[in-house]
Amino acid sequence: MSESVVLVKNREVVIPGQALAKGRFKLGRDVYRDDSGFIRAKKLGLADIKEDTVSVVPLSGVYIPKEGDIVIGIVSRISGSTIIVDIRSPYQGVIPIPRGRATERVDMRKYNLKLGDVILAKVKAFDGSSSLLLTIDMEGLGKLEGGYILEVEPAKVPRVIGKRQSMLTILKEKTKSDIIVGNNGRIWVRSPSLKELLALEKALRKIETESHVSGLSDRVSSFLTQELSD
Amino acid sequence: MPLYVEKKPEVLITEDGVRTDGRKPYEMRPVRMTVGILDKADGSAFIEWGGNKILAAVFGPREVHPKHLVLPDKALVRTRYNMAPFSTPERKRPGPDRRSVELSKVIREALKPAIFVENYPGSVIDIFIEVLRSDAGTRVAGVNAASLALANAGIAMRGLVAACAVGRVGDFVVCDPNHDEDMWGDADMPMAMLMEDEEITLLQTDGPMTEEQFREALKLGRNAIRFLYEMQKEALKRPYQVVERSVRGVV
Amino acid sequence: MFESEMLTHNLLKEYVKDLVSKGQRIDGRGFQDYRPIKVKEGTFTKAEGEAWVELGDTQVLVGVKADVGEPFPDTPDKGVLISNTELLPLASPTFEPGPPNENAIEVARVVDRAIRSADAVDMSSLVIVEGKLVYMLFLDMYVLDYDGNLEDALTLASLIALGRAEIPKVEVKEDGEIEVKEEKWKVNLKDLPINFTFVKIGGQLLLDPILEEEQVSDAAITLAIDKEGRVCSIQKKHGKFTMEEILNATSIARSKWPEMAEKVREAI
Repeated sequence: MSESVVLVKNREVVIPGQALAKGRFKLGRDVYRDDSGFIRAKKLGLADIKEDTVSVVPLSGVYIPKEGDIVIGIVSRISGSTIIVDIRSPYQGVIPIPRGRATERVDMRKYNLKLGDVILAKVKAFDGSSSLLLTIDMEGLGKLEGGYILEVEPAKVPRVIGKRQSMLTILKEKTKSDIIVGNNGRIWVRSPSLKELLALEKALRKIETESHVSGLSDRVSSFLTQELSD
Repeated sequence: MPLYVEKKPEVLITEDGVRTDGRKPYEMRPVRMTVGILDKADGSAFIEWGGNKILAAVFGPREVHPKHLVLPDKALVRTRYNMAPFSTPERKRPGPDRRSVELSKVIREALKPAIFVENYPGSVIDIFIEVLRSDAGTRVAGVNAASLALANAGIAMRGLVAACAVGRVGDFVVCDPNHDEDMWGDADMPMAMLMEDEEITLLQTDGPMTEEQFREALKLGRNAIRFLYEMQKEALKRPYQVVERSVRGVV
Repeated sequence: MFESEMLTHNLLKEYVKDLVSKGQRIDGRGFQDYRPIKVKEGTFTKAEGEAWVELGDTQVLVGVKADVGEPFPDTPDKGVLISNTELLPLASPTFEPGPPNENAIEVARVVDRAIRSADAVDMSSLVIVEGKLVYMLFLDMYVLDYDGNLEDALTLASLIALGRAEIPKVEVKEDGEIEVKEEKWKVNLKDLPINFTFVKIGGQLLLDPILEEEQVSDAAITLAIDKEGRVCSIQKKHGKFTMEEILNATSIARSKWPEMAEKVREAI
């Protein structure tokens, strides 16, 4: 085995094709190994060098579904026994409407949806290309009533949530709002008034543009304090 | 009737190799690249190169319409190169002509090898290039901008694609032909490379070159492309550096 | 404007309506406020006159190109003005490549009608030889980024582009030959007809709607005011208005005209 070399600093902004490392590293997300053994970035993002793994944390990009993800969808079509859901992704979600009697434990009222309704759903299965199965048959899932939807870059969702929900807690407490973050970058919000909603929206833009600079939580926290001071 | 009459300069290049805009044969016109100037597109870039002003935007990967175009195992890539009616001295009639249809195709083929299309099966990536002001070399400028827009959109790529034209004026092989050389020069050769391995993804030649001239032109093109690639990297990283500096309060 | 083509969610409508009932808008503006207007500095085209205007996140680029040709047979004593709008596919995920659709054509005509009805461009000044040779002005309106209210953005950009236009002088010599001179002339703008677009939401009129407001609006109208404060063109789009609402819209527009006209003059 050849010697292992790291060619970038951890957390450095890297561009597609940039060589990150060579040697005995495992391939993490959004990297590839070229013919001469270099591990290169696939996307514009931050280099993430762990002991044995090289990855890129992307800074932008559309939402690609993963099993188990929680997404906020909009009902875009209802045809016969299926509900088609837009999840802001190249792939449309499908929710089969269960047949009443066969599954008694299913709450059929949940499936009484109209076009344009906003739902919280879980990605049940995704084959990577065409078939994307969603479910709302779980406590807490289903139609979202009231509130408003904001959007962030799907790539920034982990930053909006933060480590152990630290950022999300700041956002909720400072803006006195109920917030549900979908992995697809849609965010459901119920704020006491427009003032808090606008402050939250600005805070989200701040998270998007400053996510690569450390100390983000503190900056967002003091920004919201200032924004909502009077 | 035309309000602007093109006049051929008496001398396209002097014996000492001075060109109509004062450049040396191997010199490039000034280039400026900016990323992310459009709000609604998933990725965008603006390039100013000599008198060229070109916008590129990327949407996707997104759902394919119409459905019969879906490729089950990879993303469909569509490209539209379009010239604005006010991009030329004489107003250009809106809508595609044979030239823009061909350029759309060669640009798509220049960019596609860079995209991990297999990562997005069943979807489409749309690339739109709008020439707002044209001044020779719009296709290579468009490739540079489109490549930036793809990266800005967060699409998985093997590397960036950078592009430059070279040409021949008399006995001189020249870098980045200007308008006069484009009109009255002897050969024009736009080229693009995927920068990960420096393989050529766009190459067209219009006009004869000897083997020696051709080798020189390829080499000159590659060097120019390497230079443009550095500018692309800088353009992609710049917005993040600007934010970092302002956050940290460093002047 | 293109509500049928865009997926909107039901919470948007409820939320926007609820805010309006409290006298608020989703972006925090007042009902009669425009978004920030910016005219971008620099040259971006090869037009004789141009303007790149940002109205909030909406961006448009208008270029005026000139040519000379025969006048229309029914107006031998007038020049020609041709307006065209391109809703570029890079401006919105809902815009598709192809020839202008009904939306693009409507917007072009709404801008064109305001300019024509106020006689803003002195069409007789475009005549070189009556019945034979006139200047033809092409007003090409390019939509680069679509976040609502194209009409007002394009009207502002068109007036600025026309006001800035410098066109080569053309003369017909005695032997009938046409000579293009080095000298330039400027288009004389006699008036500044400005379009004001309102949407109706929950019975209230909102000036300069953003995309989300257009999507959930009950009705929309664009009207142009000339320098005398007269209404010179109107386009009611979707939905319906009471007569009082329309009169109200015209008086709001009239009160806003001076500040908008000043922006246009400044930019020229």
